[in-house]
Amino acid sequence: MNIENFQDTINACRFCFMCRHLSAVGNVTFRESDTPRGRALLTGKMQQNIKNLPPDYIDTFYRAELSAANRFHCVSHYDEAGLILAARRDIVEAGLAPENVKTLAAELQKANFKVEGSGSMLYYVDLYSDKANAPKDCKIISGGDTGKALEVLGFVKEAETVWTKFQTAVKASGCQTVVTSCPASYDMMKKRLDSVKVLHIAEFIEGKRGSGSVYYLDSDYLKNYNDNMTAPRDLLKKLGYELKPFGTNGEESYSAGEGAVIYDKLNPELTAKLCERIAELADNPAIDILVTASPYTRSVLNKYVPQLKVLLLDEVAAKGVK
Amino acid sequence: MSMIKENYLLSMLESELTDAVGRDYVSTNAADQLGHSIDYYWIPEMWHDRGRENPKPDFIVHPSSAEEVAKVMKIANNYKIPVTPWGGGSGSQGGALPMYGGIILDTKRMNKVLAIDTASLTVTVETGINTQHLEWAVEKVGFSTMHFPASIACATLGGFLAHRGTGVLSTKYGKIEDMVMSLEMVTPTGEIINTLPVPRHASGPDLTMLYLGSEGTLGVITKVTMKIHPVPEARKFHAFLFKNMHEAMVAGANIMRSRLRPCVIRLYDEPETARLIKRVLGIDKQGAYLVFGFDGPEKIVDLELEQACAICRRQEHEDLGTELGQAWWDHRYKFFYPPYMFHLPQAFGTLDTVATFDNIENVYWAMKNAVKDNFPEAAFIGHYSHWYEWGCMLYARFIVDTPPQDPQEATLYYNKIWNSAIRAAMREGGVINEHHGVGLKLGRLMKELYGPAFNVLGSIKKVLDPNNIMNPGKMGFER
Repeated sequence: MNIENFQDTINACRFCFMCRHLSAVGNVTFRESDTPRGRALLTGKMQQNIKNLPPDYIDTFYRAELSAANRFHCVSHYDEAGLILAARRDIVEAGLAPENVKTLAAELQKANFKVEGSGSMLYYVDLYSDKANAPKDCKIISGGDTGKALEVLGFVKEAETVWTKFQTAVKASGCQTVVTSCPASYDMMKKRLDSVKVLHIAEFIEGKRGSGSVYYLDSDYLKNYNDNMTAPRDLLKKLGYELKPFGTNGEESYSAGEGAVIYDKLNPELTAKLCERIAELADNPAIDILVTASPYTRSVLNKYVPQLKVLLLDEVAAKGVK
Repeated sequence: MSMIKENYLLSMLESELTDAVGRDYVSTNAADQLGHSIDYYWIPEMWHDRGRENPKPDFIVHPSSAEEVAKVMKIANNYKIPVTPWGGGSGSQGGALPMYGGIILDTKRMNKVLAIDTASLTVTVETGINTQHLEWAVEKVGFSTMHFPASIACATLGGFLAHRGTGVLSTKYGKIEDMVMSLEMVTPTGEIINTLPVPRHASGPDLTMLYLGSEGTLGVITKVTMKIHPVPEARKFHAFLFKNMHEAMVAGANIMRSRLRPCVIRLYDEPETARLIKRVLGIDKQGAYLVFGFDGPEKIVDLELEQACAICRRQEHEDLGTELGQAWWDHRYKFFYPPYMFHLPQAFGTLDTVATFDNIENVYWAMKNAVKDNFPEAAFIGHYSHWYEWGCMLYARFIVDTPPQDPQEATLYYNKIWNSAIRAAMREGGVINEHHGVGLKLGRLMKELYGPAFNVLGSIKKVLDPNNIMNPGKMGFER
């Protein structure tokens, strides 16, 4: 089983409560199962008998938001997010994936990548971004998710097929640098694209100077998966904005499920709750300007808590905060 | 053992509970039941590890207010179903385990900070709040609860109130019971009551203190007003190494007898200095490590620190300086994360007790000898965490690397260690616990501890909880 590669995490997390305060889903459902401890307990049972795994256990694994805030916090960095991904792979391989997950996976497999435009660099348009916001002088690649979403759903072979198509299209573009606004795709490409430079848009764009104060919401993939808290902040400071700390702490995930890539499509009600918690933590929801590096986060916050003013880093750089 | 066997009755109950708290907040989900069948007590962990099932709740409810808690209580009374309150579930005494099934009343949805009074320096808050979330919320407006337990990130405030918890700065800021102004309670029969608004009065006995430490057996604490404090200008630490625990104890007790006001003193015996201080802080020395800290206005802190250092220097010592004191503070929670914390297959337990300075070293040796003589395979380590004008708390631990494999045999073996060590502590003037509570683990020793006075507690329980629905099987109360 895939989860056996995470035996140290199962053993460490199943009886440990030390990171539960950062369980984004647990903080809105209040359920013991929606914490790294709860999920690790389930994986222990899963090892004993996957064939008769209760549907409730499977649902719990697919409720996880995979922010990796808990792993980031843990003094030993036990890979609780990796464990959930492994559990999902085992569920898929055992033919136990829920119907809604299978439907979503089938949709994601339809990805068909197309490169257009001209330029020496390639800009990838993810599922939550708009082509119109692509930087000038870049070729554009679009047509679906890179395979990252399938991977987090546990469909590893299918993810590989889609990734191969994406990689082929990137190579055919002839570009040596790929830029994306999507931190999840950035994570995938950075780890897997050989001989091509991968940049998040925050590491790439210049922008026009602005003023005033903004709250930056950390991206799970930039902060917790790639230890990159500085690039977006440096960009905002360079553009002339004063950064205010959002919420009460810098440890919680304020990305509303970005770690699970397409969380809103699988768990819309929970996504709404995650968004509502972010709204609750805003100092002054009516006037605060929140900036995110994640098109996913911007999209779901705009949808579920439209009273918040949320801007994408790219937009702030291009147009300012007015 | 489930109290409710018939499916139709289960459905009826589910309907009533849904009416009380809402559809999304009543669960019979198998994943949630598993999560609520294990807390931080070694026995259910071991039971799970060995592939066995722990007692599970029939229902898990998440009320959002005292009114909803009251409705749940009335339903439970009507059907005479057990109700076990559950906060963070991180208690080490089995206090939140649903031993007889029934309803787990999970308080975490009651998590709002209701008011911060900057004139009186108090915060009024619902008790299901995670204590780290509370601390962050209070810090955001420039104050602190000064409640920094190792379980700050795991536990709810209600959990600390229910079992009289404490934090690392207790020596100056007190245990949880010293931090409370007043409480809102839902009684076992579903009445919502409040204790008096101030903790110092001559208006009859102190109801607040009756409920603190009652571990969910006398009702559910739903709201509390707590003291808060300004964030101090300075907090500084200093560490010493003494040739043995006795020398260090003399120094620590002299600091307390001098009536200086350290925020923390912590003294590790020689085995724990060699084992944990070395592993976590990297201090590889023989002897007993003592660290203390002061906080407040910097000038006063410097003066107090100097005085405390002078007291320590009267004993045979090695001065480890401020850096190795600060290192302890910086890593104070690291001791409790895996792999630094003890873990299965080891059997381990925290034998925490408290006694006067006159007795505390005798308590230590009595416990240590009881473990060593009867269980030579067990290691015994200890530190003194919480200090008072009159004595201090001993946080002793036993560790057995290879306990019996059979879960029932392991349970009996485990309980035998506890019985020996705690009875030895009681003989020397200790009590069965200082800040982790009684729960399931130590209930059997309550009558021995209290003697005839336990009848008073039993009578209170009978009057307040006539159907005996609240947290059955805990604190030594009759089932």
